Amino acid sequence: MFKPVCNSKAVAMMFIAVALFIGLASPHDVSAASDPALSELQAPTALEGWQKEFDDICSKTQDAMTFSIEELTALVQRCDALLPQIEKLDETQKKVYTGRLRMCRGLYAYVLNSKKNEKP
Amino acid sequence: MNKKTLIALAVILIFCGQAFSQAGTKRKRPLPYEYGRVVINNYSDTNGLSPVVFEHWIHRSKFTCRVCHVDIGFAMKAGATGINAADNQRGYYCGTCHNGKMVVDGKTVFASCLKEPIIESRRGLIVRPSNEDLRRCVRCHSMGQNVARDYDFFEFSKPLPKERFGNGIDWEKSEELGFIKPVSLLEGVSVQRKSLTVQKDFALNAKVEGMPDIIFSHKKHTVWNGCELCHPDIFMGVKRGTSHYSMVDISEGKSCGACHTTVAFPLTDCQRCHSKPV
Repeated sequence: MFKPVCNSKAVAMMFIAVALFIGLASPHDVSAASDPALSELQAPTALEGWQKEFDDICSKTQDAMTFSIEELTALVQRCDALLPQIEKLDETQKKVYTGRLRMCRGLYAYVLNSKKNEKP
Repeated sequence: MNKKTLIALAVILIFCGQAFSQAGTKRKRPLPYEYGRVVINNYSDTNGLSPVVFEHWIHRSKFTCRVCHVDIGFAMKAGATGINAADNQRGYYCGTCHNGKMVVDGKTVFASCLKEPIIESRRGLIVRPSNEDLRRCVRCHSMGQNVARDYDFFEFSKPLPKERFGNGIDWEKSEELGFIKPVSLLEGVSVQRKSLTVQKDFALNAKVEGMPDIIFSHKKHTVWNGCELCHPDIFMGVKRGTSHYSMVDISEGKSCGACHTTVAFPLTDCQRCHSKPV
């Protein structure tokens, strides 16, 4: 028969052991990951909504010359609509993607102007 | 001192002054391994590091211009990107490839900036990177440092087709002959694109009598650059024949000079552009 005192001691010891095991087995950077300075350095994994839209808009630059004036106008408008979302991103992403979006928009606007100029 | 002597002295002084001022502005022709070199010093000095020395020749042999200047987002002007260590740590700019994980030609690309210094400095602690960390820093922050490189320019360029100017390498022929295979798409970074519809080549009239006209090859340029790298930032004219280019503007880095004074074959290689048979 086990004494109740021993039982409670054993349970307490087990709890401590489990807690220690969890503490040791967890990744070494757990405390760092909860640090806002570090967590913002983690690379994004899932493709976010803004990025899907960005990819879709900018994947068409190769075909810019084949688009109609209406299609090009729509692409320029989509670029303009996406910009505010990109401006909300962290400092680095904002810097990278505003630059990339500016290039896509610039090309579509350039071809659009060129097509408008061609029109008699 | 009579009037004649004074005038003679004044003329000599003016002449000497002009001669010295010209000597001061004369540009040194870079050596083949220096051509395309970019020194980046946005934040290095202020953080007690040597400026970054970026060698175009090794990077352009592995990647197209578009990968770096469109997909990764490096500006076309030195220092204009404003890269900092945090950007690299987050996996952007240099950190896109220099992450200690990417493998190029069977070699793991060394990681760029360290995580620790920026985090410690945010907490107000003293930054003390280890000696090993410091050795990694100077691989890029190498201005004035004696750094052992992974690639030696002369070894690298030995088998490649030669050209008289720039890096002394005919990059176009090097690709044609399969010596280099620049990657045009980076998984997870580049936007998936369809293959490019090649625009027609066209001729531009030379302004100087007897100088052959220029044959501009859209094909050659779009393969490495895509469309958005040149239009509209570098070439903004929308109607053919309405933009006028001068060698003075080009040598100042405008239009063709954006690349052909810095990385692509230089302006001294006249017949590479003025190539229309007379």
